[in-house]
Amino acid sequence: MINPRNPLWRYWSLGVLMVVFFAFLYVPIIVLIVLSFNQNQTATIWTAFSFDWYKTVLENPNILRAAQNSLIVAAVATVASTVFATMAAVGMAGKTFKAQNAFNGLVGLPLLVPEIVTAVASLLFFLAIGLELGLTTVIIAHVVFCIPFAYLPIRARLEGLDPKLLEAASDLYARPWQAFARVTLPLLLPGIVSGAMLAFITSMDDFVITFFVAGAGATTLPVYIFGMIRTGISPEVNAISTLLFAASLLFVMVSFFISQKK
Amino acid sequence: MNKSLLAALGILTLPALAAIGYAQSPKATINLYNWSNYIPPDLLKKYEKETGVRVNLDVYDSNESLLAKLKAGATGYDVIVPSDYMVKIMTDEGILEKISASKLSNFKNVQSFSIKPPFDATRDYSAPYMWGVTGFTYDSARVPGGKLEDSWKSFFEPPEALKGQIVALNDPLEMWNAASFYLGTDTCTTDAKVGEKILALLEKQKPYLAAYNSDGTIERMQAGEVIMHHQWNGAAHRTKEKLKTAVFVYPKEGMSFWNDNFAVPKTAKNKAEAVKFINWMMSPAAIAVASNFTGYNNSIKGSSKFFDASLNADPAVNTPANLTSRFRPNKICSNASIALRDKVWTRLKR
Repeated sequence: MINPRNPLWRYWSLGVLMVVFFAFLYVPIIVLIVLSFNQNQTATIWTAFSFDWYKTVLENPNILRAAQNSLIVAAVATVASTVFATMAAVGMAGKTFKAQNAFNGLVGLPLLVPEIVTAVASLLFFLAIGLELGLTTVIIAHVVFCIPFAYLPIRARLEGLDPKLLEAASDLYARPWQAFARVTLPLLLPGIVSGAMLAFITSMDDFVITFFVAGAGATTLPVYIFGMIRTGISPEVNAISTLLFAASLLFVMVSFFISQKK
Repeated sequence: MNKSLLAALGILTLPALAAIGYAQSPKATINLYNWSNYIPPDLLKKYEKETGVRVNLDVYDSNESLLAKLKAGATGYDVIVPSDYMVKIMTDEGILEKISASKLSNFKNVQSFSIKPPFDATRDYSAPYMWGVTGFTYDSARVPGGKLEDSWKSFFEPPEALKGQIVALNDPLEMWNAASFYLGTDTCTTDAKVGEKILALLEKQKPYLAAYNSDGTIERMQAGEVIMHHQWNGAAHRTKEKLKTAVFVYPKEGMSFWNDNFAVPKTAKNKAEAVKFINWMMSPAAIAVASNFTGYNNSIKGSSKFFDASLNADPAVNTPANLTSRFRPNKICSNASIALRDKVWTRLKR
């Protein structure tokens, strides 16, 4: 255990290190956000405060279409992956069987497989079965890699569930399905919502896999932003990135607070 | 708990509702796969209004991405916009559909320097879009006498007053080409002796340079950090918006000329509409709108009539007719020549 009175924790350089650490993490993001309000065309010289770039972003039909694609993909992927993840978690919790650990590992494995491998594999698979690249292939790929993100919070929640509650339910003549609908599911809901939000945000932010499996008409927001870099980092890029960052932050926070609920 | 859960579910449902409002289809659709920020959205809307054909836009960031995407089997892109050398690579790979651009009704508008480009001499597979050249820009208020000779000499062997006030592009191809033009040698040479000469020229220039850097060329000139910058003409135009005394030089020895082109992949779904769109983009009024948006010039005669005043008045973009003979389209070099170029660059940067 960590002893709070260990003199190491009071060593002055630890505080310095912490400041450096947080600066390293957040200063670039802060710079990006500040510069998104820069009036100037040239992204790195500050002139005056303005919302012009946000206006430009929100008036650009291509950006809006990319955002729409992102939302469609994320919405479908969230719903599908959360349903699958819930089924998997409930199935795993009910009984113990031999290969359970291995199975658990398999569900979580996509978290560990390098994204580029998943991307190439998905692309080859789609081409092999003759599926035309487009929004559909992006959605399928997203459902797959979102499942573990949705699965983990649900499973964590399920593990904290008191099995006696279910026994009590069956003592009161609840059939298994009733016990699930009236007891397990409501208790599981915070885990499900938090899992769904994680899945949503993972899907929204994904670049590598989307880039590989997207076809005509399937440009998502991250892919669009990547394309914009070619013409230089303009405040327009900063503005979209800031919006995307704000959305991510919102979702992660909501997800966090819900998972904290008892 | 229930209220916050409902709110959370509400947030999740919003996108789904947005998705429902998505479906609405015009009579035909073509998918344009283009560089990002390279065609004005309003122009595509105008095309839809005139023809009833909707143009969907997807974007990529480099020629190599485009090639990789098509080779990986992406289908459904009807019009793509590869650069000069990439048209050649794609033609050789058999990716492009033969569209006989030179027989289209608007091809008569194409300027002479884009009619028979080396990468597609018969214009069977491609039609011209934007082009640009690489020269250099200097601040006339800060050079001795207020004027420099329009020669690569001013860049490679500058007056002493400019020492440490010059930045070159950090780009082996551009530097190699510029040196080759100045020395009058073939840009695709495989001759090691020529390589030595180029290296000697670049090494002699090196002490005069503040840096090799391709990023932030506009800001650096505008802020007055340096007096001269190796630069693309579109960037020179934007430099001038703030620095009125900036002058873009078309060196008399020649300068590298790149251009992007419309083409149709064999896997396109709607080839007939794709070709109609390409033809439309060769009309002066349409392509001028694109030039106003990108800040780059195009190959269509008479389009400058429709330019914004600032674009039209800037010789960096609206090249005086007597200077277009200095353009040297990028050649497609052998691997041996590329290896020699890389070797020179590596030794220079050591």
